[in-house]
Amino acid sequence: MDSSNDDALDIIITNVVATFRTRCHLNLRTIALEGTNVIYKPEVGKVLMKLRKPKITASIWSSGKIICTGATSEDDAKVGARRLARCLQKLGFKVRFSAFKVVNVLAVCSMPFAIHLVDFTKNNRPIASYEPELHPAATYRIKHLKATIQVFSTGSLTVTGPNVQNVATAVEQVYPLLFECQKPLREKRRGELRSQE
Amino acid sequence: MRELFLEEGLEDRVLDDLRHLWESKMMQSKAMEDFRKNNINSSNFVLQLPDNYGLTEPEPASLVIPASQNIHRFPVKNTSETVATFSLPAGLAYPVQIPAGVTLQTASGQLYKVNVPVVVTQAPVGQQPVSHPTQKAPAPPSATVPSSTVHRQQVEPVSAACIPQLPLPETTSSKEINLPQQQQQQQVPAADSSHLQEVHSPPSEVTTGENNLSAQPEPVNFSSTASPSPCSQELDFQLSTEEKALPQTALLKTKDIDDILKEVIEEEREKAQRDLDYSYSELSDIVQLDGAADNSDMEEEDVVPLEENDFLGMINAEAIKVLQDGDGSSDGNSISSSDSEGADKPVEEEDPLNSGDDVIEQDIPDLFDTDNVIVCQYDKIHRSKNRWKFHLKDGVMCYAGRDYVFSKAVGEAEW
Repeated sequence: MDSSNDDALDIIITNVVATFRTRCHLNLRTIALEGTNVIYKPEVGKVLMKLRKPKITASIWSSGKIICTGATSEDDAKVGARRLARCLQKLGFKVRFSAFKVVNVLAVCSMPFAIHLVDFTKNNRPIASYEPELHPAATYRIKHLKATIQVFSTGSLTVTGPNVQNVATAVEQVYPLLFECQKPLREKRRGELRSQE
Repeated sequence: MRELFLEEGLEDRVLDDLRHLWESKMMQSKAMEDFRKNNINSSNFVLQLPDNYGLTEPEPASLVIPASQNIHRFPVKNTSETVATFSLPAGLAYPVQIPAGVTLQTASGQLYKVNVPVVVTQAPVGQQPVSHPTQKAPAPPSATVPSSTVHRQQVEPVSAACIPQLPLPETTSSKEINLPQQQQQQQVPAADSSHLQEVHSPPSEVTTGENNLSAQPEPVNFSSTASPSPCSQELDFQLSTEEKALPQTALLKTKDIDDILKEVIEEEREKAQRDLDYSYSELSDIVQLDGAADNSDMEEEDVVPLEENDFLGMINAEAIKVLQDGDGSSDGNSISSSDSEGADKPVEEEDPLNSGDDVIEQDIPDLFDTDNVIVCQYDKIHRSKNRWKFHLKDGVMCYAGRDYVFSKAVGEAEW
């Protein structure tokens, strides 16, 4: 649409990864035996616990470090993490919820237009990289935001960043660049003409 | 000696010898674990007696005895041939007696046949087992156990063991010369039949040096090693009868031996499962946990973790692994009170977990605590996202108050 219009763009957060510590050693065996909805992976040395309410899968290590994945928002991640800690507490561990941190946020976004990746990469030489033989998307990394955007020729974007705010900012930043390199509209029109005919 | 054995029919002889060896080893291993002393300590022994032996042990599948265990097992079969294949794992440090007619197979795959009872004593260098080939048809290649050196060692230590094993309490180091002499001496009092006398003849096959194969004294050794009186008696039986003369006694012996062996086997199994024999124990644990298995302990544990049907497969699999691995890490600490913990660190940055206040307990799981339980073993448990697939076997399902037994079950569930 417009060059700086990210209000109309729907940025959908698909995954939020967070970690926290329980500050106490966890006996994986006990968790695996007594916990509900757990998958024990002794070969790796961790227990997966899945929660239903905030759809979350947590990797629990014996050191007390827990990685929480699958949440759809940062708040959800926090709630899920606390629920998880509560579960562990009920199993008998002296759990202290500490050092909760959202580590990664993954979002998708869709441009209303297609993108010419080669032009886009040429225009943004050092920041964007495009290797069609390796991956069909062009990778655009914003250093100061620590965000990575993968741009597909269809106009879809996947953005990963340390938090939701960064992700949103990244999309805003990249939008005008993409807008410039959008694929000519003739193809769309061709499609329209054909459909009309 | 050889002649005698041949005449009598190696089969019987071997059988008896094996039995005696078995018994003696077992007793010795239980009684003493001395290294080179006293008597033979059976180390890892894999005996395959593809044929013949009247013992009712399970089939010739070789049983590997953990090194730590001094039990000598003889899987014995009753077949026509009297081929017994010994494969002693490396590290065998004990004198081993090999009855006549046994085929020893080294790690390299070479088969050595022992026409005459052989006593393998410990020896630093594995020398070729003095087993004497031929006379019998080549033993079928039994399970090859990497024990070339062991084999040889066996040979050597056996001979050495023979000497000390002789009923005479003196425990002389392996010396071939002594063997025959001692054997003779022992045999005299022990032996009933003339066979003993014949056995007395110095083991011609005994080689000098490390190779100590005492063909002759083997039966004697067996008896001596185990314990003077019973062994000698057994020996007497062996020598005197070819399963013909004293069938009854043989039967008795077999029974005793069998019982003893069974006990030993059970002990070994238990030990194996609990010892550092990880793979074995793990395997056994896995199998047992899931369903009817050897250990009742495992079965009991199976019942415990069973909960909802949907989670059975997962839980069982996990429980098994968990139990096996036995996470030694310290338990989670004392149970923290559900309340008042928030007071410790009200600062959210540090420890905001206000226990029960903030976190809602999940009541949903409680709904699943039903009595529908499946106790089984699993072939494969698979999960994709939230779709689970179970391939179970050999189990009992209690559903809606009714019990269903199955040898194979396939299930799908969504979580």
